[in-house]
Amino acid sequence: MEDESFLTDDFLRQLINVGEVDILVGLPTHNNAKTIGPIVNTIRSGILRGFPRERAVIINADGGSRDGTPGLVTGISIDDMRPASSLYALRTLHSISTNYGNGPKSGVALRTILAAAELLRAKACIVMSPESANVQPEWISSLLWPIYRDGFDLVSPTYRRHKFDGLLMTNLLYPMIRALYGVRIREAYMPEFGFSNRLGSQFLSQNGWSDGIGGTGAELRFTLAAITGGYRVCQSFLGEKKHIERHASDLVPTLRQTVGALFSALESDFPVWSKVSGSQPLPTTGSDQELLLDPMRVNRKRLREMFSTGVAELESVFQVILSPSTLAELQRIARLGEDDFQYSAELWVRTVYEFAASYQKSVISRDHIIQALAPLFRGRVCTFLIENRTGSANDVEHNIEGLCLEFERLKPYLLQLWKSRE
Amino acid sequence: MPLTTDPLWYKDAIIYQVHVRTFHDSNGDGIGDFQGLEQKLDHLQELGVSAIWLMPFFPSPLRDDGYDIADYYSVHSSYGTLEDFRKLLESAHERGIRVIIEMVLNHTSDQHPWFQEARSSQNNSRRDWYVWSDTDTRYKETRIIFLDTETSNWAWDSTSKSFYWHRFFSHQPDLNYDNPAVREQMWNVMKFWLDMGVDAFRLDAVPYLVEREGTSCENLPETHSILKDLRRKLDEQFTGRMLLAEANQWPADLRPYFGDGDEFHMAFHFPLMPRMFMGLKLEDRKPITEILQQTPEIPPTCQWSLFLRNHDELTLEMVTDMERDYMYDMYAASKTMRLNLGIRRRLAPLLSNDRRRIELMNGMLMSLPGTPIVYYGDEIGMGDNISLGDRNGVRTPMQWSGGWNAGFSTAEPERLYAPLIHDPVYGYPAVNVVSQRESEHSLLRWMQRIIAVRRSSGVFGRGSIEFLYPANHRILAYLRRLGKETVLVVNNLSSSAQAVELDLRRYKGNILIEMFGNNIFPRVGDLPYLLTLGPYQFYWFRLRRV
Repeated sequence: MEDESFLTDDFLRQLINVGEVDILVGLPTHNNAKTIGPIVNTIRSGILRGFPRERAVIINADGGSRDGTPGLVTGISIDDMRPASSLYALRTLHSISTNYGNGPKSGVALRTILAAAELLRAKACIVMSPESANVQPEWISSLLWPIYRDGFDLVSPTYRRHKFDGLLMTNLLYPMIRALYGVRIREAYMPEFGFSNRLGSQFLSQNGWSDGIGGTGAELRFTLAAITGGYRVCQSFLGEKKHIERHASDLVPTLRQTVGALFSALESDFPVWSKVSGSQPLPTTGSDQELLLDPMRVNRKRLREMFSTGVAELESVFQVILSPSTLAELQRIARLGEDDFQYSAELWVRTVYEFAASYQKSVISRDHIIQALAPLFRGRVCTFLIENRTGSANDVEHNIEGLCLEFERLKPYLLQLWKSRE
Repeated sequence: MPLTTDPLWYKDAIIYQVHVRTFHDSNGDGIGDFQGLEQKLDHLQELGVSAIWLMPFFPSPLRDDGYDIADYYSVHSSYGTLEDFRKLLESAHERGIRVIIEMVLNHTSDQHPWFQEARSSQNNSRRDWYVWSDTDTRYKETRIIFLDTETSNWAWDSTSKSFYWHRFFSHQPDLNYDNPAVREQMWNVMKFWLDMGVDAFRLDAVPYLVEREGTSCENLPETHSILKDLRRKLDEQFTGRMLLAEANQWPADLRPYFGDGDEFHMAFHFPLMPRMFMGLKLEDRKPITEILQQTPEIPPTCQWSLFLRNHDELTLEMVTDMERDYMYDMYAASKTMRLNLGIRRRLAPLLSNDRRRIELMNGMLMSLPGTPIVYYGDEIGMGDNISLGDRNGVRTPMQWSGGWNAGFSTAEPERLYAPLIHDPVYGYPAVNVVSQRESEHSLLRWMQRIIAVRRSSGVFGRGSIEFLYPANHRILAYLRRLGKETVLVVNNLSSSAQAVELDLRRYKGNILIEMFGNNIFPRVGDLPYLLTLGPYQFYWFRLRRV
């Protein structure tokens, strides 16, 4: 472990009292009091139903909540002082909490959870999102069993989502990771996931926690570490994932956590991804993706306007990041009317690859590069919404598959850009 | 060593359960007998027991190991004579050992003359001593206890062309306690043995005495009334005698058997026992503390009786389905180890012959509130023979030595009532009293030591209990208090070393004296008291202000 001192004495004392466990559930939180109650109750129910005999603990890594979140988590412990009234438990179920700082830092939270898992020698672990409004007890088993019983190292979830939910996943992360790493993992940036102690310990031992990994995007780095490390990865279908409304201003932080983490990983992972061609499906329990087609109100016009405005305002930035032909094409479509607007798959893939290469070259501040991608992503989303407005689930899947193949087809272009960098 | 005159002697007792047949054969017929048992009283005295509980020794066809009594006023000829029993009683009393005998109130053997008379005709004067019916549909809400062998609580009697009621085997017809003559007769039986000097009865299967339509026919008020009447007679006519209830029930249902101190003196705490095994396997104190939290207060003159194993299967009636499945998987992986709703194994094999676990379980047995019962042979870690049917696998001959027939009998081996344990781990050459007596660190020596320590303080038999709840759930810690004496017990249920912090601030200034070695531990201060315990280790500390 790089540095164990980041765990507080109080947390260590709690871990000593918990002792070795079979099952560990990590729960990163920060001011989640409004949602956390039902979630922890569901987690507890999932453990008692699926793993009644196993030694289990819920570890809450909290970023300094001021709304009483940790108390809500620890309050669901089952022990001989506080027997569960409606649930019967064969053994003690611990729920402990530690405060890792002031403000949410997903990397620090994950690191805390991984360290606890290693110290407690947990056989199978999961991390649960504190925001998943419709988490079901069965999710616990679905994420844990492949680790506990079947020897997998990483269980990535798949969901039943609305066709316009998770657009960053369908338009960038999934197709790009698939093309580069050769693995068809639908939710590489995982709200919930399961992992083995073997994988957790290996990831924990990596250097860079104090800067890169420990910042944002640790979850995605974790997925990529599993893939590049040759660990056994699978997917498990959890069911419907309720859409969480995000404010438009959330996009850039999300891009930092996901695309930024991916771009950052490409450098160290180059020896791996540069040798990969094509892609392979992952072992998957249940469906690998299901789409809901209910009508959803989306302001496409606003997206297109933000795209056009961005292309105009950030021209000087794009001149550094993008090739002249790509920029010219973007400027051309930015001038198109609503009916004619189309941000093609090929142009989008070229855009993303050129951004990735520029990120590696650090042509400008890497954070500015990520920020500059935001308006372009909105433009691509606008096209995706138009193309799939009336599409069936099969149609949407077909279009996503087409985009994936485009990312795979143009992978040599990325390699070419990479080599030109060298 | 004379018997104490304390009427509450049972609170401080160490009870040793033994079947006459299994202990020692004095006449070489292959069957243990009263004289043989008498010859081995020294062993029990050395062990430190203060009472022996004898399983049924009455005349019987022995289709249920003597619980099918055919004559309540005599002894089975295989075990000797009534005079032999009297001598055993005297010898035991001379050693300060009381004698508890079985009394099967609920039913007789179908070979008992009472039943033979009752079935002879529907007009017989003893007909109403048993429970008869023209149909087998009465008392339908009543569960069947021996699920593996019985399909109904009614059996057809072809002689009198009617059904008779039986809660256990069909060859054990239930007596009819609605009949005053039966009640009077059974008191006369008890009085017969009390007059002889017997100190206590273990009353078998007491919840089932009375039947009422629309009920479970268990724990009925009418049954309690009958038991209270027996107790009243006992108190009126005798002093210092004791009644021990066998009622395999939940604590709340058991509580009425103590009445207001006017029914039973003692009752087995059946639900605790499986939870001790469960807590050990789970490495979690929760099952133990939970059941003891649910255990109601009992009158001050009453006492729980605790045990780890006995002559029956390790009963799992008083656990949930989930707990039962867990116990089966953990302790009886092979289905041949299971019987009815239980596990037919001895203590040592149940605990994988792990000395540390055997010691820990005995440590809890001796320190939790109640009077401990040690099953014969468990003091040396005897094994079992699950190839023998029913519960006979835990009733094999006592292993006294590595010599002929384990020193149990001079008979030819094939004449023994049951085969000896021969396997390499538990066989008599490896596990026997003689060799363990010679070894300072044997289980037998350790058992003698822990019993001596237990008997050195009244706190274990009579003191209150207060659980500490350290955050480490693998540690079961409690305070036993009696008057000014306080003992701290700390048990590590885990297979790994554990650290535990105990909140003992209210005992600030006390030092801890470890009771086995009498070593002094650091003084209690303001900070949580830190202890480390090895795998399955336990401590008994006497708190002393110096």
